[in-house]
Amino acid sequence: MPSQKKNDIAIRMEDVGIEIDGELDSGSEGKNRKAKASPRAGGRNGKPATTEDEEEEEDQDEAPRKRARKKKASAQDSEEEEEEDDRSVKRKGTKAAGRKKKAVKEEEEEEEEQGKKKKGGKGDAKGKGGKEKGNGKDKKKKNGNSSSSGESGDEDSLSEGEMTSLKEEVEEKKKLIATLRNKPWRMKRRLKLLKECQAFVEEFEGALGKGKGRKLYAYKVMMAKKMIKFNRDFDNFKTACIPWERKIKEVESHFGSSVASYFIFLRWMYGLNLVLFAFMFGLVVLPEVMMGLPYGSIPRKTVPRAEQDRAMDISVLLDFGGYCKYSILFYGFYNDERTIGVLQFRLPLSYLLVGLGIFGYSLMVVIRTMARNSDEGGDGGDDGQFTFAFKMFTSWDYLIGNPETADNKYASITTSFKESIVDEQENQKDENIHLRRFLRVLANFLILCSLGGSGFLIYFVVKRSQEFANLDQDELSWFEKNEVEFVMSLLGLVCPPLFETIAELEEYHPRIALKWQLGRIFALFLGNLYTFLFALFDEVNAKLEKEKSIRNATIWGLNEYYSNYSSYHNTTDIPPPDIHPADVIRGPCWETAVGIEFVKLTVSDIQVTYMTILIGDFLRAMIVRFLNYCWCWDLEAGFPSYGEFDISGNVLGLIFNQGMIWMGAFYAPGLVGLNVLRLLTSMYYQCWAVMSCNVPHERVFKASKSNNFYMGLLLLVLFLSLLPVVYTIMTLPPSFDCGPFSGREQMYNVVMETIENDLPAFIGNIFTYATNPGLILPAVLLMVLAIYYLNATSKNYQNANLELKKKMQMARDEEKNRRNNKENTNQVMQDLEDLLPNRSLLPPAAEEEKPPPEIVLEKGSKSPKVAKRPGAAANGKGVNIQKDVSLAAPNPKAAVTHPPGPRGPSGNARGPPPGPARGRGRGTPPSRR
Amino acid sequence: MGSRASTLLREEEIEEIKKETGFSHSQITRLYSRFTSLDKGENGTLSREDFQRIPELAINPLGDRIINAFFPEGEDQVNFRGFMRTLAHFRPIEDNEKNKDPIASEPLNSRSNKLLFAFRLYDLDRDDKISRDELLQVLRMMVGVNISDEQLGSIADRTIQEADQNGDNSISFNEFIKVGNFLIFCIFGNMNYYLT
Repeated sequence: MPSQKKNDIAIRMEDVGIEIDGELDSGSEGKNRKAKASPRAGGRNGKPATTEDEEEEEDQDEAPRKRARKKKASAQDSEEEEEEDDRSVKRKGTKAAGRKKKAVKEEEEEEEEQGKKKKGGKGDAKGKGGKEKGNGKDKKKKNGNSSSSGESGDEDSLSEGEMTSLKEEVEEKKKLIATLRNKPWRMKRRLKLLKECQAFVEEFEGALGKGKGRKLYAYKVMMAKKMIKFNRDFDNFKTACIPWERKIKEVESHFGSSVASYFIFLRWMYGLNLVLFAFMFGLVVLPEVMMGLPYGSIPRKTVPRAEQDRAMDISVLLDFGGYCKYSILFYGFYNDERTIGVLQFRLPLSYLLVGLGIFGYSLMVVIRTMARNSDEGGDGGDDGQFTFAFKMFTSWDYLIGNPETADNKYASITTSFKESIVDEQENQKDENIHLRRFLRVLANFLILCSLGGSGFLIYFVVKRSQEFANLDQDELSWFEKNEVEFVMSLLGLVCPPLFETIAELEEYHPRIALKWQLGRIFALFLGNLYTFLFALFDEVNAKLEKEKSIRNATIWGLNEYYSNYSSYHNTTDIPPPDIHPADVIRGPCWETAVGIEFVKLTVSDIQVTYMTILIGDFLRAMIVRFLNYCWCWDLEAGFPSYGEFDISGNVLGLIFNQGMIWMGAFYAPGLVGLNVLRLLTSMYYQCWAVMSCNVPHERVFKASKSNNFYMGLLLLVLFLSLLPVVYTIMTLPPSFDCGPFSGREQMYNVVMETIENDLPAFIGNIFTYATNPGLILPAVLLMVLAIYYLNATSKNYQNANLELKKKMQMARDEEKNRRNNKENTNQVMQDLEDLLPNRSLLPPAAEEEKPPPEIVLEKGSKSPKVAKRPGAAANGKGVNIQKDVSLAAPNPKAAVTHPPGPRGPSGNARGPPPGPARGRGRGTPPSRR
Repeated sequence: MGSRASTLLREEEIEEIKKETGFSHSQITRLYSRFTSLDKGENGTLSREDFQRIPELAINPLGDRIINAFFPEGEDQVNFRGFMRTLAHFRPIEDNEKNKDPIASEPLNSRSNKLLFAFRLYDLDRDDKISRDELLQVLRMMVGVNISDEQLGSIADRTIQEADQNGDNSISFNEFIKVGNFLIFCIFGNMNYYLT
């Protein structure tokens, strides 16, 4: 039975979904319905001639329903019928709200009449009365189509009677197609009819045919059904495949979308890193492991003799020395053979291309994501018309049957309401704007000061440390040695809370405040990055010097060996010197050193992050929770309380960590794998931590729909980390005895070699031409022009969009305003106005300019945004709208169709004399222009 | 089990239900078996308790309202016909029905009837208006005690302000339809994004 139950619910769900699909062109439908609901509308389109027609159709429409009702009445008790009738009347009443009672009664009478007529004429279900036939076949077809399509869903349940009726209809259609040529209709109508008939015949002929046709049809229907079901399952499957969707939703429901946005960002980052890892692993690490020389075969793959006794010590390994340093994880391990293995895999080339490809791919993905997000647009605050109404009426998910899910849903509804309230409050703020501006300028000034101060401090400390580096290490105190790190972590500890405190002066919406905070801490972290890179470059330069001397010594030693050997053995066939690889003298291999620095930094970052969570959140939560029983004040509500999730810190941590990965991946291929592990664990760890130890923010706010701000920061970091790597690849000479590029002048020489040796000559020529400045310069110019053009176009679109949005808003306000104004006018007039083409019977201009005071007050107290707009519209800003209306207003027919009925107390005095009434239009007397 | 159920259901009855609601034969028999399985009293009618046994309805904050929608005014039993009539609201609108039949008879699953059904869920006192108090009641069901009454009040006010067009501080069915139209528009707009 449960399955049945589920089925039931699923059906219901499907229905709802389909309904929504079906509503697309509700506009026209709605109009039609309205027209039907109030038949006295008659010349809704201002054409009295069509009135009759419509009314006639009305009658026919009424027919089937009446019929059905009567039929039922005969079968069932009449009580039910009465109720049904009642309901239908009520429905009508509500639909044409504000219609006069009399009108309703009139209609009822009419209905009654029709009912009688129908009862007499058409008792049976499928019968098409002669009158109806005469009136036009399209009408009947509609009926036929709708009734038969009801069955088309479930062909297997076609009964005999339905079959015959269907058959008749198909026959009729065929006849119609045959005789269509002779019908005295307009061509357009004929074509339309023809198309419809053909479609119908095609669809249902198969159902009626014998044997093959029938089977084919049944097969088609079955396949269509299967397809629908499959699509649904596939959608479910796709959703289930999104990793951690459940976890993130859970977090979102409790902590709001802002915290969830961090986790979504984390997930995105994980995906990106997986791809990078696949590149790195598949094209560099794996080939070297499978096809390269094994460990210990050549010097670069062996731990030097001096380090060998301590190479397995855990402390050395934790510093990534010893076996770690001479492993696949780092640059130095890779051999410089042009091709390896049976596949002739060009490892050095692949290494270089993957190193650059990682940047290329990341850039592409980040920019593509940004572009895709940006068309979703919006900074998260939805300016929609019915924000609260939607939340109110649609937030519950009717398929929830599990109490735990229901709890989550409750939490998420509450959170989303809270988010909306925060947005709403933000809209309502209208205090002293000058004071606010002053405070904001002040806050920015303060923060700039502190940023500048910390920048100078960093600069100063780095300078000093360079001086210290020249001194003897033993003379320095511990503090002097670790000064840079100390200052850096101090700044990192003090500044963010300081910024947050200062930011409170600004009183931004939390969402905007978060962005500012992110930007400011970002600037601070840049200092961090700068010092790190500075130190690193110093180290690299020192290593390069050292390497040069070692290299010279090695070359000299080799020459000595060769000359000695040849003179001693008197042969030119000299075997290479027989030294154990561990004993060979080597250079310092700066690339591996850099790689180790980055790996160390990443690992320490992981440790710090995890420890912070463990101590700052978990321990704190434990203490607050359990010491609360025996403490003098309320720990939970009072001072320490539970921690909040630090969005800005976490996001920036993630971004800068990614920067480290990008920079370090070239020198330490294993780093990407490490990062994948880190992101994976931190997803679970942080999810757990946030759910168990943190409390939601005081003001839960809605994150911007697009993560574009995060992405922008990421892009900046990507660019910044691209610079040093490309610089080293392009200018610094690679180490002579380690890594895939050893023995070459520059790293990119690998590409040159490949072009020269492996590719046909003409490609080399093409490359020479392509690198000609005469070609590059125009290309750059062209790109700049293209960028300029695209930028200009997008600006224009943006403007147009804004303009349209404004117009829509204005139209809405106008409507509301109008409705509010004629609140007290006669109901009949309202009705008439609904039906008029251009609302030319609006309340007069004077009234519109000055809406009733109590309404303004009410709105003003709720939202100044709204209160301002009606005024704006009336002040003539909505030029376009007004123009539209004033153009349309002088429709003489409209004026004629309407008797100068009672106008209600307020508008009565003006009456609608044709002249002024026309000019008035939507409140645009020419004088005001 | 389906066959047993259909034997209990007379053929002509099925025909009538089909005419009235537009369900197909197999759908009706399936729903009938569902009906009988819900009917613990086995007297051919469902009571409120029967509905409350459906977990989805028991959990739903609007569950009571939905259950109420099955019962005609003042009764606390519903037979299969009534059951089907209510369920017919959930039948999808078919394509050709949608664009060719706008002015023909309105089936139970027409757009406005669906909206009306939803409207009735919120219209507690059946006066064809959703008042502020009714909204507040629904809100309380939906968010419980997590939001203060004052804020709930402001939410209700905002909701009404958004939807209200004639300034009577309540939402009439006409205004509700407007919200519905806009909602559908929005959903569809968003859907385009999620599909790509």
